Amino acid sequence: MAFPKQVKPTLPLVPKKTLSARREQLLEYINEDGTYLPKSVLHADLDRGMLDFVKEDLKVVTAGKIVPMVDIIITTQNWSQYVETALFVDLDYNPAPPFITVVRSPEVKYGTNPSLQYTIPNRKQFYYASVPTWNGNEQGMDIYTIPQPVPVDINYSVKIICNRMRELNQLNKIVMQKFSSRQAYTFIKGQYVPIIMNNVSDESQMSLDARKYYVQSYDFTMLGYLIDEEEFQVKPAIQRVTQLFELDTRVLNKKRNQFPENPDEFMNNFLFVVGNTTLVDVIDYTANMVLVGTENILSYDVYINNDYYGSDVNLIQITTNDTLRIQAFKNDYSYESKITFDSKLV
Amino acid sequence: MENLVPITRLGKFFGGEDFTLDTGMGQEWLEGDMNFTVILYRVDRYKTKIDDVYGEVLEDGIQFLAPVELKGLVQVMTPSNKLLGNSKVEQQEPGNMKFSLYQKQLDDLGVEIFQGDYLGYYETEDRVRYYSVSDDGYVRSDNKHTYGGYKPFYRTVVATYVSENEFRGI
Repeated sequence: MAFPKQVKPTLPLVPKKTLSARREQLLEYINEDGTYLPKSVLHADLDRGMLDFVKEDLKVVTAGKIVPMVDIIITTQNWSQYVETALFVDLDYNPAPPFITVVRSPEVKYGTNPSLQYTIPNRKQFYYASVPTWNGNEQGMDIYTIPQPVPVDINYSVKIICNRMRELNQLNKIVMQKFSSRQAYTFIKGQYVPIIMNNVSDESQMSLDARKYYVQSYDFTMLGYLIDEEEFQVKPAIQRVTQLFELDTRVLNKKRNQFPENPDEFMNNFLFVVGNTTLVDVIDYTANMVLVGTENILSYDVYINNDYYGSDVNLIQITTNDTLRIQAFKNDYSYESKITFDSKLV
Repeated sequence: MENLVPITRLGKFFGGEDFTLDTGMGQEWLEGDMNFTVILYRVDRYKTKIDDVYGEVLEDGIQFLAPVELKGLVQVMTPSNKLLGNSKVEQQEPGNMKFSLYQKQLDDLGVEIFQGDYLGYYETEDRVRYYSVSDDGYVRSDNKHTYGGYKPFYRTVVATYVSENEFRGI
């Protein structure tokens, strides 16, 4: 039976974790390696990488002992080599053979790394990564750009100082096996850097009237490149704003209807046209009606539910479903009249 | 029986008795008064297990015969600052040791010094430096090693400093 085809119905475009868990995940990503950018790879890093390569990949063991290595690049400060070789010095505090040391040519030339031989002027920045960001309110992306790395060639000589041929043979075997295809790689801050073997030479001391020892030199060229984090750029890209607000989800009792709905205070005009002296209205609200003014009115009588309420009253307290009747006595019956009340709902 | 040919050089004013007297007084002065002592470690070339191809031994693998105390004139050369090849590893290389001794002493002890043997010289009470014989001085036919051209009577051994992983008297 054939193995069922692995079908992926959906692509995981949305992170599985959300909200706080997602923020913590992003924080872990950032803290894991410091930043999303590659680390700087400068001269000292390349030298350290070469030393580590010799220490780990060219390790020589003879007679059950690891041949020690001077784990620094020897510079003009002579004391440093004595510090480094303190563990394998003789009574004269001279490094006791056998040991391995790495000599770097001080000059560093423009590189011949084939992957970097094209020339891009003006240190143009290139897209490297888009990194999600979250500042607690805004989610977005940062665009990380870096310039083209600068290729460099660094020449090293790995030298073994010993006084037995078998130690020479052992290192030679390891080097030849490692560089059987002429090159090997070292791993420097996440970058694979090639190393090419150039030459093997002998500098042995064979004078009759001096101490005899072997010195063999293996010349390597590291096809490195410089990445300087000072040249990295981080620019904000698109951003999506998320606004959060809270709602009261409690269920409230329905409010009593009001008329008019708004506002609570309004004017009521009772207009008596020519020939009309009585107005009747069923009031569907409860209010205090305060007299505002009259026009062409001599006096007026107020009845509520056909009960006499008063004459020329300044305040009428009316209740919902009451029947309000106003009978007007005009100054001049050939004109219309108007009584205006200010009704305030209670 | 060994054929002996009498030495008659300088016979009118110098002879075997003079030679014996003078070298005897010198030996008394050097070995008795000066009393510089060097320990000779003669490599046991039969018991030392060597590599079939390179003739090398492992560290502390050198077997030697019973050490012999020798008296003689010790001259330790000046150390020199030098690099190990082009390694940039700088060190003060101890100087060679020139050791001159009367041949009669070796003849009396019945020992011989060969290239590759080791010499130990106590510089202080608790510090000994070992040298490897690079010139055993066996050929002593030159005028310098003869008593006025009469007969050879001493030899000069040149030994170079050895590192501890080659020999340390164990």
